[in-house]
Amino acid sequence: MIEIVEVHKWFGRLYVLQGINLQVDEREVLVIAGASGSGKSTLLRCVNGLEKIQRGQITVNGISIQDSKSNLNRARQQIGIVFQNYNLFPHMTVLKNITIAPVKVKRMRTEEAKKRAMHLLERIGIPEKAKSYPEQLSGGQRQRVSIVRALAMEPTVMLFDEPTSALDPEMIKEVLDLMKELAQEKMTMIVVTHEMGFAREVADRVAFMADGQIVEVAPPAQFFEHPQDERARRFIEQIL
Amino acid sequence: MPGLFSRYLKYGWRFFSATALLVLILWLVYISLEQTYIFHWNQALRSLHNYNQGLKITLSISLISMFVSLGLGIIIAMGRLSRWTIVRDLSGVFVHSLRNLPFIVVVLLFYFGLRQAFPIDRLFSPWRRVEIWGVPIFDGRFIWGVLALSIFEASFIAEIFRGGIQAIHKEQGEAARSLGMSYFQSMRYVILPQAFRVIIPPLTNELVALVKESSLLFIISLEELTQTARLQYSTGRPFVFEYYTILAAYYLMLTIPLSILSHFLERRLAVGDRNR
Repeated sequence: MIEIVEVHKWFGRLYVLQGINLQVDEREVLVIAGASGSGKSTLLRCVNGLEKIQRGQITVNGISIQDSKSNLNRARQQIGIVFQNYNLFPHMTVLKNITIAPVKVKRMRTEEAKKRAMHLLERIGIPEKAKSYPEQLSGGQRQRVSIVRALAMEPTVMLFDEPTSALDPEMIKEVLDLMKELAQEKMTMIVVTHEMGFAREVADRVAFMADGQIVEVAPPAQFFEHPQDERARRFIEQIL
Repeated sequence: MPGLFSRYLKYGWRFFSATALLVLILWLVYISLEQTYIFHWNQALRSLHNYNQGLKITLSISLISMFVSLGLGIIIAMGRLSRWTIVRDLSGVFVHSLRNLPFIVVVLLFYFGLRQAFPIDRLFSPWRRVEIWGVPIFDGRFIWGVLALSIFEASFIAEIFRGGIQAIHKEQGEAARSLGMSYFQSMRYVILPQAFRVIIPPLTNELVALVKESSLLFIISLEELTQTARLQYSTGRPFVFEYYTILAAYYLMLTIPLSILSHFLERRLAVGDRNR
């Protein structure tokens, strides 16, 4: 489903990704863990082409992301992404935030898009906020809206870039619960997060990154109990 | 809401007292001038209908130029932010060469220079006597006046737009593109609507400047407000002071509402605003 082969990326003299190989299967939940600055977010942003890679190949649903001939806009319709800072559109209502892409990109009829958006809002329990603006929502509500905004495009892959890092502790759970639901519905997901409880419970595999490389990939039980790599071991000791 | 009412009252008082002070000062100036200058307000005000005709020309040339320069300004601003170096450089040269010229030089260059090389107004010569709302919009001076004014102003407006677009966080564009929107869709639906809010105050200032700059078109004897005022004393009644005072009043009538509109829009648009 997602294939990442020998990917290298650098910003000037900063060598961020140093030969990444990774494969994510359909319906798999992969959590990427690692210290700040290890290249987790950059790798995720490369998957939907927000960052350009200098060498290697990334293929999602059979479409090459780095190839200039492939239609990146079309590929991105299949790839939902959720950002740390929500990045909702502040000048649109919650409803408009959710319907704008299906209507403008997929040419869905407005009423149809609205109906689906309301279903999504009911699902996250805030249909009454449809006419509100993002600034009138709590952080947790904003992040859940940004998740359903991505879902409205009916993606086959969801990427999460530290979705709970900007949230107050009491709001983290509502966002993680929604992500858990998605995982149970067998959405293909790559999640960059520091929430190791979530990784242990939901992930099929955990990939550990350090210094621009993936140094260990293992199922969560094995990863947390018997980490092979020295840096992974130290990381786990620090957070647990 | 008692708070709202008392606030209006407060602003009302400030407006009233400021106006009263201004009137007092003007009156003092007036009576001191009367010692040495004989005013002929009655005769001067008889030519108001000429001013109204000039006002029509100034209004229509400003309005048309506003639309043209806004459209052109957005295109040039996008050019300045293009990913192709050659487009960036070309629009950069356009902006910098025009911004650093005095407007009167641009007018002279366009009307006496470019017009010789590209006499596009001749295309419209069959309709040169056609008037819409009393404005001869196919007249060569009118066409070149609009061209000079809108192209000159587009260079300023382009820089305002560029600043506005760059002020909107890069993340907003990323979010839009990640949903599958094209570059133009993300501009149209996400970046530009937000950029508009940021740039309303500088943009309105620029439109005020545009109205004021249209006065320099008197140099190509386009009979807008300023030229009208200048022509009054060739009628054999040289009431220069009166004529130019009337002229100033007319320009204030145009520009002050624009400034008030800017202030109003600034507060209206701030409502649905974010806290980034």
